[in-house]
This record gives sequence, structure tokens and C-alpha cells, in this order.
Amino acid sequence: MSALYDILSNTSHVHLLLNHVPTTAFTVALALFVAGLALRNDMLKRTSLALFLIISAVAIATYTSGSAAEAWLRGTNPMSELPPNVLSNAILEHQDAALWATLWMGVTGFFSWLTLWQWKSVRKLPSWNMPLVLVLAVMSFVTMSRAAYLGGHIAHVEIRPDVVKVHQACLAVVDEETKHPGSIANAPANCPWQAAVDQVAKTTGEPPPYQSTARAVGDFVIGHTWMWPTLETLHFVGLCLLFTTVLIVNLRLLGVMKVVPYSAVYQLLPIGMLGFAVNLITGMLFFLGIPNQYNANPVFYWKISFVLLAGLNTAYFMLADDTWRVESNVDAPAAPKIAAASAIFIWAAVLYCGHMLPFIGNAF
Amino acid sequence: MAFLQTIENLGFSQWVKQSGSLWAFPGILLMHTYGMAVLVGVIAAIDLRILGFVPAIPLSPLRKFLPLVWLAFWVNAITGTMLLMADATSKMVNPDFGIKMLFIALAVITQLMLQKRVLADPEVDRRPLTANAKMLAVASLVCWLGAITAGRLLAYVGSSTGL
Repeated sequence: MSALYDILSNTSHVHLLLNHVPTTAFTVALALFVAGLALRNDMLKRTSLALFLIISAVAIATYTSGSAAEAWLRGTNPMSELPPNVLSNAILEHQDAALWATLWMGVTGFFSWLTLWQWKSVRKLPSWNMPLVLVLAVMSFVTMSRAAYLGGHIAHVEIRPDVVKVHQACLAVVDEETKHPGSIANAPANCPWQAAVDQVAKTTGEPPPYQSTARAVGDFVIGHTWMWPTLETLHFVGLCLLFTTVLIVNLRLLGVMKVVPYSAVYQLLPIGMLGFAVNLITGMLFFLGIPNQYNANPVFYWKISFVLLAGLNTAYFMLADDTWRVESNVDAPAAPKIAAASAIFIWAAVLYCGHMLPFIGNAF
Repeated sequence: MAFLQTIENLGFSQWVKQSGSLWAFPGILLMHTYGMAVLVGVIAAIDLRILGFVPAIPLSPLRKFLPLVWLAFWVNAITGTMLLMADATSKMVNPDFGIKMLFIALAVITQLMLQKRVLADPEVDRRPLTANAKMLAVASLVCWLGAITAGRLLAYVGSSTGL
């Protein structure tokens, strides 16, 4: 247990745990989606759309944990150094790639949700729907793969192309010398990776500082006094829209205003999703503005964990067909009732964690 | 001003402001936020329904949520008063606070008119909604948006201890 606690309280470790999901799980989901399209199998299509939705929620957690991992690497002291062979520019380049990938994945998650919603709420899906999700999913896959590739370069010297090139040149020399002893003067006996790293560092010299897009956006947020209050106000408006949709839809399942069928309250969901979208965008802007306010804040971890649970809960409602039997004056079955009560609890918890950021943690 | 200072010096006000307890300022503000989410959220949902969104939901069953709306209103009136007591000398002279109260007063009047003229009508779902009803819905959305904005800005405008 204590080993598990150590792992989960090390933000670098959390990032390493999470960061495989948006690439590997997304590949599986994309394959299922393509198979569903090819086989015209609605079950496969809906399952993969729900997976896109859940994985896009994981992508948000992955992005924020990556920022926390960076804070862990750099330390709290501005003078502290990165571990040996970790390149500052590689971190920043990976972060930008991850920001773009998270953005694409967020948009994919949104349209996947919209498609699942339309599946039940409109008689026939618009023709643009599936092709759009396919294009977005492919873009997410490409950008996330790039982020993963660049992320590998942060700590793995053995996959940096320049280091590999020097290392292999050295291996060729050693090989030649082994085959024909004495043919090469001053041939090395072996080829340590560190020697290749050092040689690359010596030949390239100090690289120019990387211009981080994530930091530029963050600087815009904190550089304008009107930005923070405006974003907060929008965050509050989004919260009202989201929370009220959660309340009305789930209280109906729990028995309030039974005369209204589930199919009718289901029509409210886009209002809640609009609220969530507003809050995701404004929330990401807060995060980009002052990442360290959230990186070292345990309440923020809880908040993101509850957002992940909320993603699972939403996916349940998008797939569960038993909720559709809840017609006018019909009591909901047990499973949707449990999911409905969970939904209210989860979103109340998200709000609680967000509110407590400055009081329990160290934000603001 | 002396009166405001007396209120701010009350043991309760000092507890809210300075005790550092999570039940004090953070907890009261938390209830104020939950109250806002329910109050403004549910009213906004009804307003949007009047304006033509989500026509599948009839208006009359939404009346079931009105007790919840008023519960949230009174929670916020009470928690709001507590927060005001803790910071009476600066909030009461802050014009932004006056603007917030004005928006809330107008929003409450609009809500009462909506309930009396639109929601209370037993025929509400059998007749098309009037332009007046839609005007009231727009006014309600604008007033609550104004109240939220002015409320959030209280942490930024004038001297304050709030967040």
C-alpha cells in the first residue's frame, strides 16, 4: 500500500502511468471505429465513440500530470537543475505537441459525444457526422503520436536521432577495428552512450531557447488584468449550465417530475455539454497561466480524478439503453438510478474541489 | 460607518474572516457557489425553455423545481449576508456590490413575474408563449449574468478580503 502511495504521489510516475493511454488505448478505439464503419456495425461504432470520449478525458488528466511531472523534474527552486541528460527544450517541445494533441482529442471527444447524443435524439444521423469524427480521430492519433515520440526524447538518450547517429558511427569504428586489428588509429575499445551524448552536446553547443506556445498562451492570460476575472466569470456561467443539467436530468431519473419522459430531459444535455466545454477551455487557460498553482495542489488531483469519473458516468448514459425505457410516469430501473445519484455526487465533488483549490491547496 | 464597523467586529464576523477554519469563509462561500449553481442554473434552464430550446420538455413539470430554486435563493441570501458581515466596511461602500444587489433585485422581480404570468398558467403548454414571456426570459438571463459578473468582480474591484 505504501509503495502504491509513493508511486501515486510522485507526479512523474503518474504521468508515466497515464501517458500511455491516449496513444495505445486510442489506437484500439480508432481500430474499433474503423472496423465499425467498415462492417456497418452500430454496436462497434457506439462503443468506439464512447471510448473516444473517455480517452479524451484521460488526455486532459495526462496533460496536467505532464505539467506536474515537469515541476517535479525542475524542482521548486528556480536554480535547481534538471536530471542529467534531460533537455529543457525537449520538455517544452513535448509540452507544445501535447497541448495540440490534447486540443484535437478534446474536439474529438466532443463530437464523439455529440454523435452518441444524436444517435438517440434525432431520427437519422447527419451525413457529416461519422466522416468528421473519423478525420478528427485520425488527427488526434497523429498529433498524440507526435507528442508521445517527442516525450520519449526527454529522458531516453537512445532514441534521440543525433545521439543514435554518433553512437552508431562509433560502433562501426569498433566493429572495423575488431575485424581488422590495427586498421584504425586511436580506435575506442567500446562505445558508451554517455560519450555519444557528450559529443552531441559539444558539437551543437548551447541550443537557442525554445519558444513555448503553452507559455505564450499562459503569459497572455496572466499578462492582461481583465483576463483572469473574465475567465472566472465565464467559468461560473459554465458551471451553472453544467450543474443544472446534471440536476434536472438525474433528478428526473431519481423520481422528480416523473411526467416528463427521459427522452425529453435528454434534450437538455447539449446545454450541459456547452457548460462543460466553456469550463474546460477556461480551466485550461487558468492552468496554462499559472501551472504551478495546480501542479502541487492535491485538491486539483482530486478534481481531475472526479472529472475522469464524470467521463465514465457520461459514457454510461450515452450507451445505456435501459434509461430509454423511462417513459412518462415510469420509475427508472435501479442501474440508471445509481448512475444518476453518482452523477450528482461526482459533479458536486468536482465543484467542491474547484472551490477548495485556494483553501486546501496553495492556489491563488 | 461605525455601525458597519460594529458588525464587522462581531465575534461571528471575525470567525468568518479570520479563523482559518474550512467551515468559515471557505465553507460559507462553497454553499454560496452551490446555491448559485442551482438558483441561476435552473432559472436559466427554464428561461432557455421559454425561448424555444428543448421544446420536448413541457414547461409545467419544471414547476416542480421552483421550491429548489427558492431554497437555493434563501441559502444564498443567508450565506451572502454572512459573507457581507465579515467584510461590511468595504463591501457596503463598494459600488460593484450595489450593482450586484440591483441585478439580483431585478432578477427576483423578473422571476416572480415569470412564475405568476407564465409558469402558473395551467394552459402554458397548450398555447404558444407570448412575446412578453420571452422578454421576461431574456431579462432574467441578462440580470443573472449581470449578478454573477458583478459578484465575481467583487474580488477584484475595491478593497476586499474575498476571493
